[in-house]
Amino acid sequence: MFTTPRLVLIALCAALNVAVGSIVYLLKLPIYLDSIGIILCALLLASDRWAGFVCASIAGTISCVIIFLLVNPFFIWFEMTVLAIALISVLLTARFTGLFQARPLPHGKFVTIVLLCGVVTGVVSAIVSAPVVAYLFGGVTGSGSAFVVAFFLKTGQKLLDAAVLSGLTADPIDKILQVLFAALLYRATPADFIAMLATPPTASAARAA
Amino acid sequence: MTPNGAAIFVAVMLAGALVASEPIGFSLLYAVIAAFALVEVGLRTFAALARSALVVLPLAVFMALVWVGFVGRSPAEIAAGVPGTRVASATYVVVVCLRLFLIVLATQLVTLRFERLTPLQFICALRIPTTAKRLLALTLSLSETLRHAVERARTALIAAGVITRRPSLRNIINGWMLVQTVWLSAITIAVGRMRDKWPIEGTLSRLDDLFQRAQPQSLGSGDAIWLLLGAGAAAFGIGIGIA
Amino acid sequence: MARQLITGPNFSGRSDALRVRLTAGGPAFFVGPYAEAALSGLASTAADELSVYRADTVPQRAPFAPLDFEACADRKPQSLSGGEQVLLALQCFSQSTYGAIGIDTALEQLDGSNRPQAIDFLSQLDAGEVTLIDNRMAAPPPGWSSTACTRGTPGFGCDLAGLMAGLGTRAAPRIVIRDLDFRYRRGVDVFTGAALTLEPGHAYRLFGRNGAGKTTLLKILVGVLAPGRGEILLDDQPCAPWRHGNETFALATQNPDHQWCGATLREDVGRRRAVLKTSVDASRVSDQQIAAAAQKLGIASLDQHLYELPLAARKRLSWLWPLSGVMPWIMLDEPTVGQDRDTCTVLAAALAVFCRHGYGVLFVTHDDEFAGQVPHRMVSIENRRMSTS
Repeated sequence: MFTTPRLVLIALCAALNVAVGSIVYLLKLPIYLDSIGIILCALLLASDRWAGFVCASIAGTISCVIIFLLVNPFFIWFEMTVLAIALISVLLTARFTGLFQARPLPHGKFVTIVLLCGVVTGVVSAIVSAPVVAYLFGGVTGSGSAFVVAFFLKTGQKLLDAAVLSGLTADPIDKILQVLFAALLYRATPADFIAMLATPPTASAARAA
Repeated sequence: MTPNGAAIFVAVMLAGALVASEPIGFSLLYAVIAAFALVEVGLRTFAALARSALVVLPLAVFMALVWVGFVGRSPAEIAAGVPGTRVASATYVVVVCLRLFLIVLATQLVTLRFERLTPLQFICALRIPTTAKRLLALTLSLSETLRHAVERARTALIAAGVITRRPSLRNIINGWMLVQTVWLSAITIAVGRMRDKWPIEGTLSRLDDLFQRAQPQSLGSGDAIWLLLGAGAAAFGIGIGIA
Repeated sequence: MARQLITGPNFSGRSDALRVRLTAGGPAFFVGPYAEAALSGLASTAADELSVYRADTVPQRAPFAPLDFEACADRKPQSLSGGEQVLLALQCFSQSTYGAIGIDTALEQLDGSNRPQAIDFLSQLDAGEVTLIDNRMAAPPPGWSSTACTRGTPGFGCDLAGLMAGLGTRAAPRIVIRDLDFRYRRGVDVFTGAALTLEPGHAYRLFGRNGAGKTTLLKILVGVLAPGRGEILLDDQPCAPWRHGNETFALATQNPDHQWCGATLREDVGRRRAVLKTSVDASRVSDQQIAAAAQKLGIASLDQHLYELPLAARKRLSWLWPLSGVMPWIMLDEPTVGQDRDTCTVLAAALAVFCRHGYGVLFVTHDDEFAGQVPHRMVSIENRRMSTS
């Protein structure tokens, strides 16, 4: 499972999450962009779904820990969301790698698939995150989506409802953007790197040793 | 202080920060970290304070605006369905910010304490399994690879006029191109090493030889003092929370 | 001790033959093309790089330590120049227990002093194997054998004359650099009060030892680096590319992968074209023109993924933007590294054409044979100053 190329991929995808996610968090935008690496990892390991899920989850977990230590004290509690995004990416988004790599890109189909995958990922992410947001943090974490939750609370919604509604407002938009960026990065990745990732462990371990 | 002691000390302070739930519970933790800064880091403490403030202040302002200014009650009060008070919400904001500040400050201070050691030297000094050392070295080397990739990408895009050296609207509009170029640079550097240099040389096993040659330092009396102080402060935080 | 030079034109399978030879026995030390392929990537300082390779037992070979190690021990390997990184790699090999070493064109980046030292060091090794690919070596040194590769990969031509067929005349601006001071953040002074005048219609060769500041000057001119002091004048008008952007220089970097702005040729050129100030300039690099030019280099489609091309083909493709004539000055940093002699001759002819059409040419090379084919003026960079001859 853990060949050197895959270890390198995990680290790079975690770094991508940390870099982009931290900037968005510090700017207090009502989106996150902190899971592009998870989705990208799943796309790059589309040929081996189990490896894709495990590596994407590890990349997400590493970025969770780093962001928690350095920038966002709430982040570590969203580990379940990380796993959910990894799962959806492997089961759904990674099915369309052929489309993402097509040259020329069929724009209509591409946009449709990105919207579909983004919305599904966003809805699942919102539902999984809502209890954490509601019961651990009273609906308000340090990200810009706190404004949305606060708005719903002020309109008289109950806490969990406000958290879910906030998630369903912000998450699909956020995840559409993340699927789009991940797909474009996947499209730009050279084929020989993707081939290295798909190599069975014994062959590449012998080469890397 | 040894690298092993420092790693455990940060873990203890982290645990203490996570379990403390009242502002007073942080008092001993902050006292220990202040003593550590004075004894082990000296004047460089101001750099750590500045960096930590840079991370925490925006969060503090944001949370104060939302929690105290807008919501007006704490999470516990919201969950209990009671009207709540701004004082309670302010206390919550203070606790969260104290926690993050302590975590970031502790990490910064330990980094500065050992800034004379390179990452590889630090890893060599740790008493952890060789596999863990190898993973750690690989991860840290990739952070250097990423920094190098960012520099390469900036060179390419600035030379072509796609982005500017200084902050600009063009950089925001073309920011995506920088991300893509950094990704491609990092991948290409990594692929080159993984396809040629590392397999031909067995470079990663050279690391294992280096780790085996290194003499990790055992915990010393200095480590023991800091660990006891840190554990004591964490226990105080737990006690206050229970009380 | 077996010492072998692998010869042959580009795309004849030399790099594959080198790898086959190296992997036939046990682990061997490898110095690939360009700086990033020379070092392990595991160390954050030059001293650490050495410690990764240093053996417990004293190696049975003479040490090779051309670098001023005290000055660069704490520096990041990536902050060293390309030639310095190759020298560091050779120093690591000299202190290791590897019995064999393979070098893929890396010695071409070494200056006139370091290169003979490196070849002498390799020639005097007592035990093990040395395998070298070097386009600047017409014949193997004494005591070396050679093996020729002839397998050809079709498709990567180099018709630069055809590529530049529609090149018109251009009045490139005169460039004056005055009182230039530059130091890197780590306190390494590169230029102190340096001055230089570059006239259009001429080619200038930037010459100096490894690490003298040649690439640094190119980066200042395209605006990547900002000098601490000094001014640049274009036709007597002040110009600050680090502040206002680069509108004058088309740069081909030493490592071609340091200049791509996209994943495909279409993306790369499209992004560069989008920031051009005039439609006249943009019309020189339309998709049709670039596609036609790329075909002269054996690239069939604008949607070719740049990083999936062989390195030698990427190097030639890196000349496309400068040779399109879209900018009045072209700058080429070590353009002949990894290129066979025939290609170097073709490139030299192309640069001479550019000068005749009024463009300005600035090139960095340690390859005296290539430089001799381009009528040029010499700019020496030495002791943090520049002088023209």
